[in-house]
Amino acid sequence: MGRFRKVCLWLHRELGFLAVGLTLVYAISGLALNHVHHWDANYSRTRVVERMAAPGTGETALIEPLVLAHLRGRDPELAVKSTWRSGENFLTVFLDGGSKIDVNLTTGEYQREAVAKRPWLFQMNFMGLNTGKRVWTGVADVYAGVVIVLAVTGIFLVRGRKGLIGRGGVLMLIGILLPVVYALVAAGN
Amino acid sequence: MRKGIVLAACLALLVPALSLAGETVYGKGVSSRETTLPVSELIAHPDAHVGQTVRVQGLVVGVCEHRGCWINIASEKEGETVRVKVEDGVIVFPANILGSTVIAEGVWTANKLDLETTKKYCGAQAEKKGEAFNPEHVTECMTLYQLTGTGAVALETAVAPKPAEGEKRTLEGADRPQHKG
Repeated sequence: MGRFRKVCLWLHRELGFLAVGLTLVYAISGLALNHVHHWDANYSRTRVVERMAAPGTGETALIEPLVLAHLRGRDPELAVKSTWRSGENFLTVFLDGGSKIDVNLTTGEYQREAVAKRPWLFQMNFMGLNTGKRVWTGVADVYAGVVIVLAVTGIFLVRGRKGLIGRGGVLMLIGILLPVVYALVAAGN
Repeated sequence: MRKGIVLAACLALLVPALSLAGETVYGKGVSSRETTLPVSELIAHPDAHVGQTVRVQGLVVGVCEHRGCWINIASEKEGETVRVKVEDGVIVFPANILGSTVIAEGVWTANKLDLETTKKYCGAQAEKKGEAFNPEHVTECMTLYQLTGTGAVALETAVAPKPAEGEKRTLEGADRPQHKG
């Protein structure tokens, strides 16, 4: 085995182990975010409709304490962040964490929309989209460099009988042509 | 081995440090907190501010569920809102920004829609509200105004304490508020 291939093997092995965790994070996050128009990849939402005695459409300052008293009667742990009178007939109660309750003041019907972060997936998407910026930008840059090294060193690891003229070369060519053709056909316009 | 433990401990300390509570800055933040334009002024005279960099302050009453790429900020006037649209992926507003008070900065932008797009937009709005919609009734193009946001600051919002037992009131009974009119 030539010295160059030995170096490639060493690099591929060491960096390969290092990249396992981040590769899984980016791959899973990529899958989830690819279908963001089908589902909310970060949060799960549950909606429950309930009813209270109609509070009426009077002054917000009078109605709000009554609505909150009713809601707290149903849920003593209710953490109210703020309220908003969105119209004559509606009052929205915003809760800590992104949940909210939309109250129809005329009918007394209210919908509680509870929002919860999808465990693990939220954090993976946070990293995948680099939402936090700052330190993660550096981590992501280094990871991108590692993936480039893995891709390049991978070409020279096991040469096979025919080297890059054989099946390996054909597969590599397909892998290169796929994005190039797509870029020319779809993204070129 | 010892180095690995030290590294793991540093990482463990770093993660909570990145998520400290308090004000949260999005994108470039805001250049000043002193002068903000009332949302109602933007809504009342939208064309007067097109192209200007403005700052608005208000309650976040809507947030993009899928990408966190916009928020709606409530006006001081009942029911009025303005949209702050940010570049996808550059700024991501989280779901828990809902109900927070923010100061947002950006360029006030007018997007004139053609008739076809106006019909589509009105149709989507009607569908959202569960109202009947006839595209033939739409005969004029409309202009959508929004703040093309470059940054925002979510101010710390105190969560309301629960009322004391004696303060609780109910909807049934004599203290029920009177209807308007």
